Amino acid sequence: MWPFIARCLEVATILLFAGIGELLDQRSGVLNVGIEGLMLFGAASGFITAFHTGSLLIGFIIGTAVGGIFGFLHGLFSITLKVNQIVSAMGIWIFAIGFTTFWADRYSGSTVPLSPRMGNHLSPLFFLAIALVFIVWFILSKTHLGLKIRSVGEDPSVAEATGINVVRTRYPCVVVGGLLGGLAGAFMSLTYLRLWGHLPTDGMGWIALALVLFSMWKPWILLAGALIFGVVWQFGISPELFVPGLGLPLGVCRMFPFIATIVVLIVISTPKFRRKWGLAKPAALGLPYIKE
Amino acid sequence: MRPKLGLRGLKLEKVLVLTGRDAVKISVASIITAFILFSIFLLLEGANPIEAYGHIFSYAFDPRLGLPTTIHRSTILLFATLAFILPLKAGLWNIGMEGQLYLGTVGAFAVAYAFGNLPSGILIPLMLITAGLFGAIYGAFAGFLKGKLGVNEIVITLMLNLIGYWLLYTLVVGGPWMGIAESQSRPLPASAWAPMIWKVPFTVFLAPAIAVMLYFLFKRSTIGFQVKALGSSQPAAEHAGINPLKISLFVMVVGGALMGLSAYHTWAGDPAFHLIPRPEGYRGIGELTYWGIMVGLICILNPLAAIPAAIFVGSLKEGGTVLVRRLGLTYGLDYVFMGILFLTFVALQFFYRYRIMRVKKKG
Repeated sequence: MWPFIARCLEVATILLFAGIGELLDQRSGVLNVGIEGLMLFGAASGFITAFHTGSLLIGFIIGTAVGGIFGFLHGLFSITLKVNQIVSAMGIWIFAIGFTTFWADRYSGSTVPLSPRMGNHLSPLFFLAIALVFIVWFILSKTHLGLKIRSVGEDPSVAEATGINVVRTRYPCVVVGGLLGGLAGAFMSLTYLRLWGHLPTDGMGWIALALVLFSMWKPWILLAGALIFGVVWQFGISPELFVPGLGLPLGVCRMFPFIATIVVLIVISTPKFRRKWGLAKPAALGLPYIKE
Repeated sequence: MRPKLGLRGLKLEKVLVLTGRDAVKISVASIITAFILFSIFLLLEGANPIEAYGHIFSYAFDPRLGLPTTIHRSTILLFATLAFILPLKAGLWNIGMEGQLYLGTVGAFAVAYAFGNLPSGILIPLMLITAGLFGAIYGAFAGFLKGKLGVNEIVITLMLNLIGYWLLYTLVVGGPWMGIAESQSRPLPASAWAPMIWKVPFTVFLAPAIAVMLYFLFKRSTIGFQVKALGSSQPAAEHAGINPLKISLFVMVVGGALMGLSAYHTWAGDPAFHLIPRPEGYRGIGELTYWGIMVGLICILNPLAAIPAAIFVGSLKEGGTVLVRRLGLTYGLDYVFMGILFLTFVALQFFYRYRIMRVKKKG
């Protein structure tokens, strides 16, 4: 049972890295629907680096950094150039699909060295993810910086009037979101999968996005959601470990995480939830800030 | 406040009203920029860009070589673009063309396997209707959730794509539709094959016809006006008595049906298929539909402009395959080109809001 639980926790780690970065993004008022793209770039660059250098550490660093570059690019498009945030994120995502297919698919089937694991099964990065949840929660709700970030996400013109620089507050959030998206992808390809296959992220970035909506922008709820979806995802991958003798075809089991995501999104959109949600949602989310 | 530009003699000015002509200029500029950037990329890869473009387009439009496939793939892309454009006119992001294609495939093949001995004249319309219906049901689900509860349609449609992929996988790989070759489906009965007109499947003419119909829908009809009104401002549309649920449902149902319909064309219209290929194969076609997002945006959501744009991208896609064979380049350069094109288009969207003006000197 322990190996199975460890796998679930590793999936939760991927979702947490990607989700907590996106949560920070969205709290500052920038929507990045292209986490899947950030993850793809992180996964591909991390994998290729580790494959050639033989060092997982360098792979992680490069994967994270490349994620950060594309996070910055999203900031450049959506904050400075004031492009529609969905269009910009879609562009980065589609670019990621195209570029990683060209760049990394020649490594299909290659593997990288085994990651160090605690108790032989769980990557220590899981605890980094938990720590990040705590750090982001602490920054957002207990510090002056967090107040600035939240006010920029709520009403940038009011924030500006009180002397907060909207652009300078949003950029770090978007870049950190990108770094974490890249880290999530690198963790996926280097530790969780260890193997390259065509577009390996498999919708994980989109589930992370759905989890952020589900979390009502609260890091602890995101943690709970990631743990639940870790189990759901892993159930889809190896159901026989979960329920021995389960006769369902592989394809049906693989649908579960995606069906669960849809169900969760429907539930949080019902009027009952919406009353709570409407209060929590950063009011300026998705709107480019244009100074008048 | 006027943003300042670091260059002397130039300043930025806000664009108050974006004319259609300006938008076209921006799209054309992004295509040209993408060609320049991709040429640099080809040089870095060690290829002569002019030679590479020559190979791409001469192969893609050569009737003995790439042309039939170019036409076939461009048609899928045109269907995908139209299925993307219509919902976005109403402000809904339908990125579920992949799943709608898969669902349409399920519908079309279910009919073909069940009633394979019917004559073509009955079987083919039946397959088309069922494929469209299955795609429409997919679209209706996302459209209803968006219109009724405001559920984020981007995530929903993407999740449905993945579900669609695994649904087809379940049916084909070791499932009830498995053919002689494992992980491929049984072939379609000959009566289900698309009849050819001038050596191309008749469905090729269907897509541009629908594009023209959509154009007039936006231009002339009440519902087209309502779609556009909802897309520009939901509160204003509601104030004008437009029912957002009805319009959301309408655009997603029609969009889904269009893409579902294309499933028939995809598998029955190309003699190389006539069955559901292995998962890498049908996923490859499914991924093609994502370029519809880019084509739709670059065409500024104009269904008529989508026709040449889809042919252009389809020819790049098909012609790009020769780069591997003739120039020994790595597979997937066509994907890189489209990615670059999308990014340059995003960057140039800046000019939707600002334009660079020369400051007139006084005196």
